[in-house]
Amino acid sequence: MTSVANEIHIRARERAPFSVMIILKSRWFLYAVSLTAFFLIWDYVAVSRILGSAMARPYEVAVQLNTMMTDPLAGKSLFGHIWASTQRILIGFAIGAALATPLGLLMALNRHISAVVKPLFDLIKPMPPIAWISIAILWFGIGEPSKVFIIVIGTFVPCLLNSYNGVRLIDPQLYDVVRMLGGNRGDEILHVCFPAAFPAIFAGLQISLSSAWSCVLAAELVSARSGLGFITLLGMTLSRPALILGGMVVIAVVAWVTTLLVTGLEKILCPWKRGVIDI
Amino acid sequence: MAYEEVKVKTPLALWILPILSVTLFFGVWQAIVDFGIVPETMLATPLEVIKLFIVKLTDPNPDGALLWRHAWTSIQEAFTGYILSLAVGIPLGLLMGWFVVAEGLARPFFEIIRPIPPIAWIPLTIFWFGIGISGKVFIIWLGGLVPCVINSFVGVRMTNPTLIQMARTYGATDWQIFTRICIPSALPMVFGALQIALAYCWTNLVAAELLAADTGLGYLITMGRRLAMPSMVVLGMIMVGLTGAVIGVIIDWVEKHLLAGIRR
Repeated sequence: MTSVANEIHIRARERAPFSVMIILKSRWFLYAVSLTAFFLIWDYVAVSRILGSAMARPYEVAVQLNTMMTDPLAGKSLFGHIWASTQRILIGFAIGAALATPLGLLMALNRHISAVVKPLFDLIKPMPPIAWISIAILWFGIGEPSKVFIIVIGTFVPCLLNSYNGVRLIDPQLYDVVRMLGGNRGDEILHVCFPAAFPAIFAGLQISLSSAWSCVLAAELVSARSGLGFITLLGMTLSRPALILGGMVVIAVVAWVTTLLVTGLEKILCPWKRGVIDI
Repeated sequence: MAYEEVKVKTPLALWILPILSVTLFFGVWQAIVDFGIVPETMLATPLEVIKLFIVKLTDPNPDGALLWRHAWTSIQEAFTGYILSLAVGIPLGLLMGWFVVAEGLARPFFEIIRPIPPIAWIPLTIFWFGIGISGKVFIIWLGGLVPCVINSFVGVRMTNPTLIQMARTYGATDWQIFTRICIPSALPMVFGALQIALAYCWTNLVAAELLAADTGLGYLITMGRRLAMPSMVVLGMIMVGLTGAVIGVIIDWVEKHLLAGIRR
């Protein structure tokens, strides 16, 4: 007895025959090729002196990094410099975020506050935070406060924009639902505004963090005695390309680790955020 | 008419408050300097800034160039870097989104360069290119490149898979799917990148000019600090903000007209 219903579905995946093309086209192989090419090109550029003497070989950079780990540079070891930059970022970021996020929320929730603050904010917004460096030095001197000030400015704008827009762009239907369930304005804010705006606020924090990184580097390049920007600047004044490149490698690694941490934190803190393709 | 339009009047308070707050801001600014709460060596009054603005239109002293020349230099540098970053970043991102080989080869390069803020490249570029225009264009190019690549990559990846499957069913080649389906569907994201990249370029321009330049708006700010002229610093900051805002508006306008037929 046979029937259509008894048809057996073969779910085995069809395996393509093994061939060289598959290996050549596989992602990991290509990554490996690309990375090898990157270091070979780098090495070639350095050895052939296309850019004059202003390029160090990858090997020299590695040696330089190794020395920096043990020998102090300008009174601080490598980790001391990393900590100096991180500390500035953490202080500035905390102040900026603590000021801007509540202000953005208040602006979105109350139109009178928005009417007062928005025009002033629109005046400040188009100025890149780095343009504030000079005035910060005039105000606070070349010490720590001026650097923290720049970071606060760099953090402030994206934080405020994101928390403001995060609340404003909430789907109005969500409010209707809460109201239909008998909620008042307080419930609306507590159960709709905050959870719905949280992903946007968090995205704002992420943008602020990368902006804070740029700011701290710029501030350290202009004037500093410690920090990662200072290392690269020192490399420039001493004409030691290995030092500059070593500084850049450390910057890349630290920035990468920070991004990784923040992304992980986001997954824990707001799992309801809809998936957007990662890159 | 099934429904009639309801006009919501903006309450008077919401009209007055913004004007009041801006006036108050400038008033307080003028007052704290006038009454000596903040010393004149630290902050210039708005009136002084306007005065300096008028003077700088005709007088190249004390920083060596007229105001419009500073602005023009900056705009030139920013636009060269911006256009180059668009020309490289958008095709690269689109190709990376669709072709596995392109992604495999380009992505590690990109991932290595991405976390480094363009500002960190400044010492190296000064070494490589000197303090001329090419170094600054390089920094600006790096700044604009990252958002261009990311947005066009994500744009292609977000193409509706049904459309791709349909095209395959009708026998379209990979290249045809890429040009006829993926690119048009990525366009809104790509145009989104135009604004982001511009903002990045403009920020990095200021950073590049702060460190090494002989004309340009960033240089104007630095000179203001060196000459201890707060009015010049503030003028430079305002000019940077203003020019950036104007360029942003122009790009926005161009984008709207180019995209008139495309659903966003």
